[in-house]
Amino acid sequence: MGIAMKTHDDTPEFQAFLTVSAALTGYSSAELQGTGCAGEYWHQFRQVLPAEILEEFLSHSHELGKQDDDRIMRQTYLSDKCLGPLSRTLIQLWYTGQWVPLSQEWRESYGASRFDVVKIISTRSYKEGLVWDAIGAHPQGAKRQGFGAWGLEPPKQRGAGK
Amino acid sequence: MSAIADDERTYDVVIVGAGFAGGILAKELVSAGHSVLILEAGEDHGKTWETYRSYLDQYYLSLAKTPNSPYPNLPTLPSPSVLDITAVRGTEPDTNGYFVQRGPLPFGSNYLMAFGGTSLHWLGTSLRMMPADFEMQSRFGKGVDWPFGYQDLRADYERAEWEIGVSADADEQTPKALGIRTSGRHDNVGYFDKEYDYPMHSIPSSYVDGFFAKADGMPIEIGEDATSTVHLKVSRTPQGRNSTPRTPKTAKGIQVGEKRRQQFRPRGATGPFAYMGQRCEGNSSCIPICPIQAKYNAMKTLEDAKHKAKHQMETITQAIASKVELTESGRVSGIVYKKYPFPGVPQHELRRARGKQYVLAGGAVENVTLALASGICTSSDELGRNLMDHPYMMTWGAAPEPVGPFRGPGSTSSYANFRDGNFRNKNAAFRLEIGNWGWNFAAGSPNSDVARLVEQDNLYGTALRDKLYHDVQRQVRIGTMVEQLPRATNRVTIDPAYRTPMGEYRPVISYDLDDYSRAGLAAANDTCAQIFQRLGIKNHTSYSPSDAGYLTYDGKGYTFFGAGHLVGTHRIGTDRHNSVTNDEMRAWDHDNLWLVGAGSMPTIATSNPTLTMSAMAFRAARAIQKAVRKGGAK
Repeated sequence: MGIAMKTHDDTPEFQAFLTVSAALTGYSSAELQGTGCAGEYWHQFRQVLPAEILEEFLSHSHELGKQDDDRIMRQTYLSDKCLGPLSRTLIQLWYTGQWVPLSQEWRESYGASRFDVVKIISTRSYKEGLVWDAIGAHPQGAKRQGFGAWGLEPPKQRGAGK
Repeated sequence: MSAIADDERTYDVVIVGAGFAGGILAKELVSAGHSVLILEAGEDHGKTWETYRSYLDQYYLSLAKTPNSPYPNLPTLPSPSVLDITAVRGTEPDTNGYFVQRGPLPFGSNYLMAFGGTSLHWLGTSLRMMPADFEMQSRFGKGVDWPFGYQDLRADYERAEWEIGVSADADEQTPKALGIRTSGRHDNVGYFDKEYDYPMHSIPSSYVDGFFAKADGMPIEIGEDATSTVHLKVSRTPQGRNSTPRTPKTAKGIQVGEKRRQQFRPRGATGPFAYMGQRCEGNSSCIPICPIQAKYNAMKTLEDAKHKAKHQMETITQAIASKVELTESGRVSGIVYKKYPFPGVPQHELRRARGKQYVLAGGAVENVTLALASGICTSSDELGRNLMDHPYMMTWGAAPEPVGPFRGPGSTSSYANFRDGNFRNKNAAFRLEIGNWGWNFAAGSPNSDVARLVEQDNLYGTALRDKLYHDVQRQVRIGTMVEQLPRATNRVTIDPAYRTPMGEYRPVISYDLDDYSRAGLAAANDTCAQIFQRLGIKNHTSYSPSDAGYLTYDGKGYTFFGAGHLVGTHRIGTDRHNSVTNDEMRAWDHDNLWLVGAGSMPTIATSNPTLTMSAMAFRAARAIQKAVRKGGAK
C-alpha cells in the first residue's frame, strides 16, 4: 500500500498549507506530516482549487502564530464566503481522510473541478484520520491495540491538565 | 438451447453453498470417508492472503461501511444490501435492491454470496437457545414446538462450539447465571453437561460493559406477573473469536459430544498466512471484516475438510445452482448449475452435478428460491413461509463520563435477563446487546460527529479535537433483538417478472411484525429508558416516520432494522403436513434431498441463529452419512 508520492516538500506553498492545516485541525505541523498523508492532501487540494484561490488561501499563513490566531482563523478563513467552505472541507479531510465536495453555490462562484468528488483519498488516509486519535480510539480495522485492551480505562483527553 | 454438460465424477454428497452449514457438513462427511462436492455461487475469498487483504482495503475505501461493503457485489450475482432498504409504499413492490419487497414492512436483513458465506461478516455471537425456545406452543400457546428438545441438541451444541471455537465459560452461561427467570422450573438443570466446557475462556469485558454493570441488581418488571420481575445483570456473550484456550482440568480432556478433546488449538487465517489471527487483537471491525481472521469464518472449516482428504473434497466456486432435477419417482437426479468464468459477466456454461445425496445449504432465502424454481418440496405448502429475523431496534445516548467506545469486538456483553420468562405468553422475549462502538451503527459515528461539529457547531482546532473527545467518549448504544413467531404470511416467493441478469429468480418477500413482537419491542424500549435513567445517560434516540423500518405500537413509534438472522423458511417438523423436512433435515418429498441451515429452525427465539444452525448441521451430517451408507434407500 506504499504511496510513491514525494513525501519531502520544502516549497513555501506546502509549508503554508501545513501551517494553515495545523491551525484548522489543532494538530501540529509535525503531527500532520507524521500521518504520511500531507502530500496526498496537498495534491488533492491543488487539484480542486483554482490557482488564484489557492494563492489567497495560503497567503494568510504568515499572519498565524503571532497573536490573535482565533480572530484570523474565524474572520479570514471560516467566515469567508470563498475560504470558509474550503477550510471546513480541509478540516474534514484531515480528520476523516475523506474529501467532502464543495457546494454547488461555491462551484458556480469560484469554479468547478472534476476532482471535487466525494471519496476517501487512500487506504492510508482512512487509517490516519485524526478523528481516531481525537476520540481516544484507533481506526476501525487497523492499528489494533491488542487482546483485552478494550477493557482498560480509556485514555484521558489530550492536553488535559496542560 | 445449449446442452447441459455432465460433470465426470459422481459424488456421495453434493452440497449447494459454502457457508456455515455447508462447511460443517463437508468436514463431517469427508471425515467419515465420503466424497463431497460443494457448489458455491460466489467467488473464492480464501485462495490467497492477497485476495483477503484486498477486501480489507475495499473496507477502508468504502464511504458506507456496511456489512457487505468489503466484498465484491457482482451485478450478475447480487447480494442483498442494507443500503437498498426503503419503506414499502403504495401497491407496487419495492424493487430497489436484490430483494423484491412486498411489505408491508421492509425485510431489513442481508447475507453474502461468497465462499465462506455470511460468516465473513458475522459478529461472532454464539448463543445456545433456551429450553423453552423449543416448546413455544406447549408452554405459551405461541408458534410451534420443535420436533426435539434442548437436551436432544445439547451434544451438537458442544460439537458446534468446538468447531467454531467459541470463547466463554460454561458456569457464566447457564440460564440462572445469566439472571433469567426461566419459564420452566427445571430449565437450568443440565443446561451444560457436567464434564463440558467451552474451548476457550471468555473474551474480556469491555470498559463500556463495566459502565453498564453499575446498574446490575436493578429490578425490572416485565409482564403482568410479579414473579416475572428480573434483576438486571450484564453478562458476557459467548463469541466465535479466539481468546485463550482452556487447559482441561484433567488429563482426560474435556467431554465434547461423544469424544474427549484435548486443549483446543485456535486456527489462524486461511491461506499462506495461517499463523496470523491466533487471538483477537481488537481491530474493532468484526462487522464487516476481521483483518486477521481471529473471528471464525466458514473458510476455516472448509480448509480443514480439504486437509482431511484432498481427493474426497471438491469445491466449485462461481457456480450458481439453478435447478434441482428429479427422477419420475421423485428422487433428485442432479443439480444443474451455471459456471461463469468471469465474475460480473453473465456468460456461463450449463453443467450438471451428480451425487447420491443432495443438500441445499445456501441460506434461508436462497434455498427457497432454488427449491421453488425447481418445483420441489411442495406438498406441505410450508416452503418459503415462516420467514423470521430479529427485528433490531437501537437506543442510544450520552453517558455522564468517558466510557472508551470504538475499542474491541462490536459487542462483548448483553442483558440476557429477558430471554425467557412467564411473560412470553403476552409479549416476545428479547436480548439487549451492549454495543462497544458508540453510535457507529446508530448514527454513523465518529465521521458524522466530525461533520456536525465542523459544519454546524463551527468548531475548529483544539476546540474541535476536545469536543470530539468529549462527545464520542460518552457514546453508548443498546441494541434490542426481539423474537418473532412463525407466520405463514411472512414468506419468500418467486415471480417470473423478477430475475437477475443471470436469469435466476430474485426473492420476493412479504414481511410484517405482529403485535407479539411489537409488544416485545415496546417492553424493551421501556427497559432501556429505565437503564438510561438509572445510569444518568442522556437519551439521544430518535425514531422518525420517514425511517424505512418505522412502525407503531400502542400509540408510540419505533424504528427497527434487520439483524441478518434469516430463519424459518424450510422448517423441520413432525410430519409432512406441517414442515418441509423431518427432524434430521431430510425433505419429506424427496428421499435423497436435505435442506440444512437456519431455514430449518421452527422458531427463532432470542439467540443469534448461527450456533443453533451449526449444531443442527452436525445432526444432519450424521443422518446423511447413514443415508449414503445405505445407498440412499429408506
